[in-house]
Amino acid sequence: MATLEEKLIAPVADEETVPNNKTTVGVPGWLNQLIDMACAISVLGKSLVDELALVDVLEDKLKGETMHLQHGSLCFQTPNIMADEDYSVISNSKTVVVTAGVLQQEGESRLNLVQRNINVFKCIISQLVKYSPDSTIIEVSSPVDILTYVTRELSGLPKHHVIGSGCNNLNSARFCCHVAEKVGIHPRSCRGWIWGEHGNSSVSGWSGVHAVAVKLGRKVESTYDVIKLKGYTNRATGSSVTDLTESMLKNLSRIHPMSTMVKEMYGTENKVFLSLPCFLNAQGFTSVTNWKLKDDLRGRNLMGHPERPKIHL
Amino acid sequence: MSTVKEKLIENLIGEEKISQSKITIVGTGAVGMACAICILLKDLADELALVDVAVDKLKGETMDLQHGSLFFNTPKITSGKDYSVSANSKLVIVTAGARQQEGESRLALVQRNVNIMKSIIPTIVHHSPDCKMLIVSNPVDILTYVVWKLSGLPATRVIGSGCNLDSARFRYLIGEKLGVHPTSCHGWIIGEHGDSSVPLWSGVNVAGVALKSLDPKLGTDSDKDQWKNIHKQVIESGYQIIKLKGYTSWAIGLSVTDLVGSILKNLRRVHPVSTMVKGLYGLKEEIFLSIPCVLGQNGISDIVKVNLNSEEEALFKKSADILWNIQKELV
Repeated sequence: MATLEEKLIAPVADEETVPNNKTTVGVPGWLNQLIDMACAISVLGKSLVDELALVDVLEDKLKGETMHLQHGSLCFQTPNIMADEDYSVISNSKTVVVTAGVLQQEGESRLNLVQRNINVFKCIISQLVKYSPDSTIIEVSSPVDILTYVTRELSGLPKHHVIGSGCNNLNSARFCCHVAEKVGIHPRSCRGWIWGEHGNSSVSGWSGVHAVAVKLGRKVESTYDVIKLKGYTNRATGSSVTDLTESMLKNLSRIHPMSTMVKEMYGTENKVFLSLPCFLNAQGFTSVTNWKLKDDLRGRNLMGHPERPKIHL
Repeated sequence: MSTVKEKLIENLIGEEKISQSKITIVGTGAVGMACAICILLKDLADELALVDVAVDKLKGETMDLQHGSLFFNTPKITSGKDYSVSANSKLVIVTAGARQQEGESRLALVQRNVNIMKSIIPTIVHHSPDCKMLIVSNPVDILTYVVWKLSGLPATRVIGSGCNLDSARFRYLIGEKLGVHPTSCHGWIIGEHGDSSVPLWSGVNVAGVALKSLDPKLGTDSDKDQWKNIHKQVIESGYQIIKLKGYTSWAIGLSVTDLVGSILKNLRRVHPVSTMVKGLYGLKEEIFLSIPCVLGQNGISDIVKVNLNSEEEALFKKSADILWNIQKELV
């Protein structure tokens, strides 16, 4: 007795479909999930992917979030939205957004935080590489620069397949936002870069800014302002990560300030990740712009930063 | 001594920038922010204003969106506790109000939310007398009626998000069952956005093929494939998601954005939204229920006259009775 489906639809080809532009976001923790969901909704809203996977401990919250996104499918052009705690769900991903990480405890030293994060990452990265060895990993968790280095070392992936969202894309976006506000034009018409370390000690490339003077201090305060007011930041991060994903999935070769290894550049011998303007396309990040650093900025740059801890992998 | 700005930019006209398609969202909870991000992603507004009483959260959320401005095409994102920030809106989306707790029905929220509406609606209309209002807060059908009464606006400009979401869920679930994208599955749910909603099984089709023509028992209790469960799942969706993640946000945000698109772009698409149905299907009271409406720049301009069979009409009237019983007790 034919089912209704069989009466309605006659299949003509038996092929399995392999996703073309799959993106995975994930990994544990309440705060990270807010960033994950912000990334997810932005990526879905921009119709960037044909399959979106969320990987996490499959608690009710994730199930609820995934179901909810699926209910919006009518409005998306992403036919497959899935979630699981089993990493096999990420197979065939082109990009994997890693938001994993533990939060700093009160009074905890940076070294200890990094060491704890390494332990979390050891488990996650090996699974990611097992199921999606050809993907490009976008590392978002803080401290971004260090964790990008950790991800690269633990994964064994080629250098251009591990990117830290770094300073940059988001702080540069905030920078452009403040500059644009002061001048009264759209942020996209204000070109400005923030590079160096993501966080308190970043440096803005004033020589490259095609706009007005804005106090550096005000930019750095932004993240902490938002956290103080609403408890966390996620929306701008989500949009920023989507911006990077778009460059990769659409093979745009756009330039983004991203965390990359700067050993032997700019006269440093240290194996350090910092944000520099990088070309981003389907191969990952393929080139770094030769940014001319003025002497005063070079001096203030954070290579060989005294606080940078020696970490054990 | 000129500023850098003055040295950089030469102003040619002295006019103030006036927004062409301003949207205000009242309430920056999960639903309000989901609406905000979806509207921004779809480039629907040239100005977005957010209003809430929780000042810190409002400011934090606004800043977080503003910092993403580089990635959007909405040049102005503002916020404030004072409704003057909403002035000259083309569309005001109301998401404010108490939200359903786990296991709580939408109707239980009523009086709490009526009081909230009393405090905000007159001010909104004062600042944007020509706006359309899109009501999302639950119970949406009753609150759309309340807002209509408080606002003094014509009923065609006060629209409840209603069953647009139920129908989207319905189409998603039908699509899952058939292995077809939701946009290629057509099905309508009308009536109350809630437990007594009415699925129109006779209209469910793919490529114009009515599923009921393939199985006349579709949607009935004797249907061996139990398609009726799909409607049941739609009703339970909201409760299920609240139980799992604490609240609903994404799907309602997307559904609202879908309606916003039709209104601001004057698309004249048909959506099942909550509107005044007195005089239709033999209804005599001033009730708001979802029926297929044509949405454009003036709000609801027409409604589609759906032929309901006797069973569907009975269910629709039952929806109406349930709502009227609550509505008539409101203060």
